Amino acid sequence: MGFEDTVRAHAADLFRYAYWLTRDRAQAEDVVQEALLRGWRAFPRLRERAAAKAWLFSIVRNEYLRAAGAPALDSLDGVDVADERSDHSGLEMRDALLALPASYAEPLALQVLGGFSCAEIARMIGATEGATMTRLSRARQALKRLIAPAERNVGRP
Amino acid sequence: MNCLDYRRTLLAGTGESDSMRVHRLQCVACAAEWQEHGAFEEALREGLEVPVPQGFAARMANAQAVSRRKFLAAAASVLAAAGAGGFYLFARQDPIALAGIDFVMKEEAKSIMMGAISRSEAQAELAGTLPIERMERIGQVKHIRPCPFNGQTAIHVVLVVPQGKVTLLVMANSTVRRARHAEKEGLHAAVVGIQRGSVGVIGADLDVVESVAGALKA
Repeated sequence: MGFEDTVRAHAADLFRYAYWLTRDRAQAEDVVQEALLRGWRAFPRLRERAAAKAWLFSIVRNEYLRAAGAPALDSLDGVDVADERSDHSGLEMRDALLALPASYAEPLALQVLGGFSCAEIARMIGATEGATMTRLSRARQALKRLIAPAERNVGRP
Repeated sequence: MNCLDYRRTLLAGTGESDSMRVHRLQCVACAAEWQEHGAFEEALREGLEVPVPQGFAARMANAQAVSRRKFLAAAASVLAAAGAGGFYLFARQDPIALAGIDFVMKEEAKSIMMGAISRSEAQAELAGTLPIERMERIGQVKHIRPCPFNGQTAIHVVLVVPQGKVTLLVMANSTVRRARHAEKEGLHAAVVGIQRGSVGVIGADLDVVESVAGALKA
């Protein structure tokens, strides 16, 4: 598969991944375009064409980190997002995802949209496999709390 | 496999292993959890699948084709204008310029994640080499931080110019008499002399790298 075909096959998921990093559609488009410009120049030297998808996602991630004002995708181990945002319960799934920090939404996007395994995601984000699994679990836990219906004050007038 | 392990593994989204399946078939509570998990994963996928701009894939693929044509046309004109000898010099891979590309590929993200230093600190670090105001005349300085580079400390700068982004490495202790170049993994680098030392300019677009290097050199 040539570079243009590879781009066509993965462009939508690359855009979505960039969106969950940037939370901005225009910025996501810029990040993907810059990343693909780098990608096509390096593509002839890519030995394993089967790994092109993971390679493109990694280039998008690097481009995002390079981009102006990109916040660090820091570790949030120990931070309970849902508890901090308990006033946000009852959200729709997309709003709940937007309430998650990028460091939680990113591994979810790589797993669900990219179809990558925990080991692959760990390599991409520079974490251990165990830490990646923990982050994925916490992200889902946080989402479940955020989308759970808000408790009502039963019995009050 | 117990209920706690089953639910913990389910939350990581890694799918259901054989041992998990055996447990689910024997546990009513985990069977209900499995049902709920399926609906949650479906909603999660739908939530993550934000609408993609219309014609995005075709536009991206087309942009690559245009870039390739422009690149080939530029390479052909360089060959025609400079001849084989000139092309040899152009294509030469300078070690410092190559180290600059390696920095962008392996170290730059780390520097950005560590955060920028303040403007006054940056002015002190850059004193006598490349004033921050000079960079700001051609673009917007988005990040500055001293970093270990090629056995010395260089000042790492991310500069956004109207045509795109470039990385600068200001090296107070490395002087160059003529411009040096390298190209690797889709990135281009040029190293030129400044008031004291030299600056490496690294970016994805050769024209942008050359024009920024030309604007900064002493």
